Amino acid sequence: MATIDAPEDERETAGVGVGRGDEPLLSVEALTTAFYTDRETIRAVDGIGFDIHEGETLGIVGESGSGKSVTARSIMGLVESPGRIEPRSSVRFRGEELTDLSEKEYRTVRGGGIAMVFQDPLTSLNPVYTVGNQIKEALRLHQGLRGEEATERAIELLEAVSIPDAARRVEEYPHQFSGGMRQRAVIAMALACDPDLLICDEPTTALDVTIQAQILELLEDLQEERGLSILFITHDMGVIAEVSDRVAVMYAGETVESAPVEELFRSPKHPYTQGLLESIPGRHPDSDRLRTIEGDVPTPNAAATDCRFAPRCPEVFEDCHEVHPQPVAVGSGDEDHHAACLLYPEDTSRDAAVEHHVERKRERTGGEGE
Amino acid sequence: MSRWSYVLKRLVLAVPVLVFALTVTFMILYLGPLDPVTAVFGQEYNPSDALQLRKDLGLVRADGSPVPLWEQYIDFMVRLFTFNFGQSWVVASEVSVSTLIWNKVLPTVWLGFWSVIVALVVGLPLGFYAGLNPNTGGDYLASFGGIVWRAMPNFWLAVILAGAISQGGFLEGYRTWIIETQVIGTPRGTLETLLMDVELLGIAMPMVDPTNFFAAVKWILPAALVLGSSSMGNEMRIGRTAVLETINSNYVETARAKGVSSWKIVSKHVFRNAMVPLLPVIMGEFYLLIGGSVLVELIFNINGLGRLFISAAFGADVTVLGALLFIFVTMTLVFNIIQDILYTMIDPRVGYESE
Amino acid sequence: MSTTTAAEDAPSARRSEGEDLTLRERIAANPRPALTWGAVFALLVALEFGALASGLIVLTRTAVVGITAVIQVALEALRAPFEALGLEPVVGIVNDVLGVWETSQGRFPVTSEAGDISRDTVGKIAESKRHDAPKTFSLLWVQYQLSDFLFGLQHFTESVPTLLNREVIPNQGFKTGPAGPWKNTFLGLEPAAAWAVRATLVYVYAFLTMFWVFKAYNVYREHYRVADWTPRDDVVDRLRGHRWGQFGFVVVFMFVTMAVFAPTLGPTTAEANIESTYQNEVQYFDSESGQVEEVFVGQANAGAKSKGQGDQNVGPLSYDDYGRYHPFGTDVNGQDLFTFMVAGSRISLFVGLIAIGLSAFVAATLSLLSAYYKGLVDLATVIAADSVIALPQFLILIMVSVAFQGHWLSRVYSGGMLIALVFGLSGWPFLWRAVRGPSFQVAEEEWIDAAKSFGQRVPVTMRKHMLPYILGYLLVYGSMSLGGIIIATSALSFLGNGLGINPPTPEWGRAIAAGRNYVSTQSWHIATIPGVMIVLVVTAFNALGDGIRDAIDPESEGAEGGGAAAGGGG
Ligand code: SF4
Repeated sequence: MATIDAPEDERETAGVGVGRGDEPLLSVEALTTAFYTDRETIRAVDGIGFDIHEGETLGIVGESGSGKSVTARSIMGLVESPGRIEPRSSVRFRGEELTDLSEKEYRTVRGGGIAMVFQDPLTSLNPVYTVGNQIKEALRLHQGLRGEEATERAIELLEAVSIPDAARRVEEYPHQFSGGMRQRAVIAMALACDPDLLICDEPTTALDVTIQAQILELLEDLQEERGLSILFITHDMGVIAEVSDRVAVMYAGETVESAPVEELFRSPKHPYTQGLLESIPGRHPDSDRLRTIEGDVPTPNAAATDCRFAPRCPEVFEDCHEVHPQPVAVGSGDEDHHAACLLYPEDTSRDAAVEHHVERKRERTGGEGE
Repeated sequence: MSRWSYVLKRLVLAVPVLVFALTVTFMILYLGPLDPVTAVFGQEYNPSDALQLRKDLGLVRADGSPVPLWEQYIDFMVRLFTFNFGQSWVVASEVSVSTLIWNKVLPTVWLGFWSVIVALVVGLPLGFYAGLNPNTGGDYLASFGGIVWRAMPNFWLAVILAGAISQGGFLEGYRTWIIETQVIGTPRGTLETLLMDVELLGIAMPMVDPTNFFAAVKWILPAALVLGSSSMGNEMRIGRTAVLETINSNYVETARAKGVSSWKIVSKHVFRNAMVPLLPVIMGEFYLLIGGSVLVELIFNINGLGRLFISAAFGADVTVLGALLFIFVTMTLVFNIIQDILYTMIDPRVGYESE
Repeated sequence: MSTTTAAEDAPSARRSEGEDLTLRERIAANPRPALTWGAVFALLVALEFGALASGLIVLTRTAVVGITAVIQVALEALRAPFEALGLEPVVGIVNDVLGVWETSQGRFPVTSEAGDISRDTVGKIAESKRHDAPKTFSLLWVQYQLSDFLFGLQHFTESVPTLLNREVIPNQGFKTGPAGPWKNTFLGLEPAAAWAVRATLVYVYAFLTMFWVFKAYNVYREHYRVADWTPRDDVVDRLRGHRWGQFGFVVVFMFVTMAVFAPTLGPTTAEANIESTYQNEVQYFDSESGQVEEVFVGQANAGAKSKGQGDQNVGPLSYDDYGRYHPFGTDVNGQDLFTFMVAGSRISLFVGLIAIGLSAFVAATLSLLSAYYKGLVDLATVIAADSVIALPQFLILIMVSVAFQGHWLSRVYSGGMLIALVFGLSGWPFLWRAVRGPSFQVAEEEWIDAAKSFGQRVPVTMRKHMLPYILGYLLVYGSMSLGGIIIATSALSFLGNGLGINPPTPEWGRAIAAGRNYVSTQSWHIATIPGVMIVLVVTAFNALGDGIRDAIDPESEGAEGGGAAAGGGG
C-alpha cells in the first residue's frame, strides 16, 4: 500500500489495507527537485512523499505543470542540469537509497529495477534502429542475452504485449508501427529489463481512446502475470480510476491528497480534488456545462508559506494565505486518507486544524525552511 | 514505396538534371558572345586559319556553310556523353582534352581528399563536443570559432596563410618543420613517388614511402585547411545542433531510462541520428571544393583542375570548358546519389514518408 | 448603481467602435502622438534630405536598369534560335522591341555608363552622351529615358545641402607651417579629428533615425492599435532578447549606413582619390621648401604608396607626406584604403540586393506554383532546381563573365549587374529549398481551399494567402545567402582579368588582390583589413538571419540552406 508521507507513528497504525505489511518497494520522502535558471528557481517537485508496495499501482494525477513528470524523472535519476534533487530528499528502492548513487550505479537500477514508459510513443523509439534492436539492447544490458537467444526473447516480449506477427515485426523500424503498436513496443522494451517497478508517464495520452483502453488492459494483465508494481502518471481522472489502487493528487509540486482509489472517488476531501472530479464529463448529468477549475497551476519559485491552491480555491479563508498546509489524515477514523488542506482533520475545529498543520510543519522541517 | 526504389527514383531523375545542366553550359558557351576564333588567334586573324578552326570546332561544314545551332547542340551532347572530349585549342594547342585533364587530376584529388579529411577531423569532434556540453565555455568558443571560420572567404584565408608561411611571416617555421617542404607550387615528384617498391619476404610490394607521404601531406595541408574551412565551420555548427537535438529527444531519454551507458548513448543513439542532418553537409563539401579549388589552386600555385579551368575560361577554350563542366556536373550528381544511398542506409525513414 | 455601470460601459463601447475605424480615422481621433513622431521624423529627413533622396533614386535606377536588363537578356536569348534558324521577320520584331542602337563605340546602350552607380558626379557623363540617345520607341529607349531622368533627379538632389557633408565638416586641409595650425579643416582641427567628428556624426544620425523608425512601431502600438496583443509582439520580443541577432542587425545596419553615406564617410571621395586623380588637387605643407604646395592627387598618391619595404608604407591611423589622414592606411597605389572600402561597400550591397531580390522572386514564384498545382509542375521545378544546383555556381560565374566580356551588359555598374543577374538566376534553388516546405504546408490550409471554392483568382490567392506565410523564410535565407554573394563577388574581383567588378570602381576583393604580396610586411593592412571586414559583414548577415528565424519560428533550429550555398566558391 501507499501512504502519504505520514509521521512514523501514524504510518505504523496505517499499515493495514491492501499492503502486505512488509517494507515498501519504493519509498519516496521529502523529494524536492528544483530547476535553477538564470532568471528563477522552479521547485517543480516540492517535498512530496509516497510509498509503493509490491504488485500495487499508485496513480499520480494532476494538471500539466504540477510536477508529475519531474517526479518520475527524479525517481529514475534522469533529472538533468539545471535541475537538481535537493539534499534532504530520499528515494529508497528495495531499501536502497537511490539519491546517493553514482551515475554508474544508477544505471543498474534503471531498467533493471525500475523501467519507464514515456508519454509519446512516436518519439520514444530511436527511428534509425529496428524495434528488435532496441529491445535487444535492454536484454543485453539487464539479462546478458545476446544473438539468437536475445532475438527469440525479443519476439516473445513482443508477443507478450500482443503484437501480431512478432517474428516479422521484430525486424521492422519504428516508423512502420502504428502509434498503439509503438507504445506496445516501448512497453515490451521496458519489460525486457525485467523490472519490479514500471513507471508509466502518461503512456496513453497520445493515443486514441480505443487504443488507450487496450494499452491499459495490457498493463493490467502484465501486472497480474509478473507481479509488477506500477507508478502511473496521468492528468486523466478516468484513467486513474481504471488502473490504480491508490491515488496521489499533485498540485504545484506537492501532493495535496492521497487515498485508496474508491475512497478518493467516493469522497474527495481536498477542494482541488473535488474540482478535478467535477470536471470529468458525465459525472454531473444534471448540469449542462462542464465544470472546470478557473486559473492555472502557479509556478512554485520558493518554499511555500501559504496554500498554493488558495488563489483558485472556492473554500479559501484567511489562514490559507498564512499557513502552509501539510498532509494530514482527513479524519480520526480515516488514517489511510490524507489531504494537505487546512480544513482537515475535519473532526476538529478550524482553529485546531490550522494549529495541527503548523505543528506538523514544524515537525517535518525541524523548524527550518521558512 | 520501398527504400531502394527511392534511390532508383533519384537515379532516374539525375538524367534529365544532367541534360538540363549541360544544356545551360552549351548555351553559355555557344549562344553567348564568346568567340573562339579571336580567343585563339587574337583580333587580327588569317581568314583561312579561322575557317579551319571553325571547321575543327564543328561550327561550319566542310563547304563553309554554318552548322545549324541545334546540330551543334546535338553534337556537343553526344560528344560529352560518349566521353569524346576532343582537343584543346588555347590552353595546350591540339592536345587531347582527356590527356590534359588526366595530367592535372592528381593534385586536385589530393587537395580535395585532405580538405575533406581536415574538415571532418576538426569539425565533427568540435561540433559534437559543443553539442554534448551546451552553454559551456568550450561550447561558446567552438560555436563562435565555427561561425567566424565559416564566414571567412577562402581566397582571403589562402592569401593570409600563404603570406604567413611563404613570405617570412609568423608561420614561416612551418616550411622547415621536420622536413623542408614548399607550400606554394606543385611538387610533382612528391606526389608521384608516394608509392615505393619494397621487398617483403622476397616479393616486391608497393608500399607508401613514409617520407614522401609526409612531405606530400605537409605540402598540401595549408591549402587543404583553406579549402575545407567553410565545410569545417558548417560541420561544427550543424553537428552541434544535431547532437543537441538528439540528446534532448525522447528516445535518448528512453534509452537512458533503460540503463544504457552515456558512452553507448552517444556512440549508438546520438551519433547515427546526428549524422542524418550532417550527411548533406559532408557530401555538400564536394560542391564547395569545385568552386573553391579554383581560388586555392591559383593562390597556392597548384597545377590542378581548378587552374586548368581558369586558364580555359580566360582563353575561351570551349572544348576544355565543356569537358570540365561535364565532369564536374557528373561528379556532383554521382555524389548526390551516393548521398542518397548513404541516407537510405542511415535513416530507414527515407522514401517512406515521401509517398 | 446605474451611474457606475454607465461609466464602465462607456470605454468598452468606445473601443468596440474603434475596432471598425481605419488607421487614418484613429489617428485623426488622437493626432498628437502621430504628429509628434512625424515632426521629429520630418526634421531628421530634412537634415539629410539630399543624401537620402539620392540614395533612394540610385536604388530606383538600379531597379529600372536591372529589370530592363533582365528583359533585354531574355529577349536576346530568345532571338538566338530564330537567328540560327534564319527566321528574319521574327528577329526583326525582336530587334525592334529591343531597340538595337549603334554608337561610335559599338552596339551598346548608354546604360553601360549611365548605370555606373559608384560615381559621385553622375551628371557629367549623362550630359556628354545625351546626343547619342536612341531615337525610336523601344525597350532601350524606355531604359534610357528613365535612367536619364533619374540621373537628372539624382544630380539635383545631390546639390541640396545636407547637414553632414564634407563641405560643412571638412577634413582636408594643410598646415601653414612646420608646426603651424591647420587651415581649411573643420574648426582648424587636425584632419584625423575632423574626419572622426564627421564619421561619428554620420553614425549618430543613422542610429537616431533608425531608433526613430522603431519608435513608430511603439507609437502605433500604444496609441493606434486596436488589439492589445498580436503575434507580432512576440516576434518583436523574441528579437529583443536575441543578442546574437542584434549583433547581426547592428553590424548590418552599420554596413548599410556605410554604403548609403559612402561619399560623406571617407576622408576623401572615391571620385577624387581613386577615379579621377588628375582632375583633383591637394594642398600640403612641404617641409623641404617650407611652403604650402599644390599637387595633383595622382602625384600625391604616388608618394604615399604602401609597398611593404622601407619607407614605402602608410599604415592605418596615420598621415602621409601630404598631410592626408588615412584611417586604414593606403593601398599599393597610394589610394586611401578607407575611402576604397567605403565606396566598395556600395557595390557589394547593390550586387547582393539585386541578386537576392531576383532569387527570392524566382524562388517564391516557383515554390508557390508547385505547391498550388503540385504534380508535374512540382516535378519540373524539382528538376530545374536540381539542374541549377548541379552546376558549380562559381565556375558558371567565371564562364559567364568571360563570355560576356565586351558585351554591353558587362559594363553596367562596372560588371556588377552581370554578376548580380548570374547570382540571381543560379542562386534561387537555395532559397527555393527553404520555402518549398512551408509553401506546401500553407497550400494544405483550409483557407486556401476556401479561396478556391469561392472562385478567387489563382494569382490573388497566392499573393494574399500564401506569400505572406513564406516571406519570413525568404527574409531569413535571403539574409544568409547575402553573405555568400558578398564573398563570391569579392572572390571574382580578386581574380581580376575582367571578372567581377572592374576598376576603377572599388571592390573589396581587389584590395585583397593588391595586398596579397604584402601580407607579411609592414603593409599587412592592405589585404587584412578588407578580409576582416568581409568576415564581419558576412557573419553579421548570418547572425541577422539566425535572429529573424528564431524570432518568427522559435521551434525551428539549425535548418540549413543559404549559408552553405553561400560558400559556393569564395
Ligand atoms: S488550505 Fe485553504 S485554500 Fe488551500 S485547499 Fe484548503 S481551503 Fe483551499
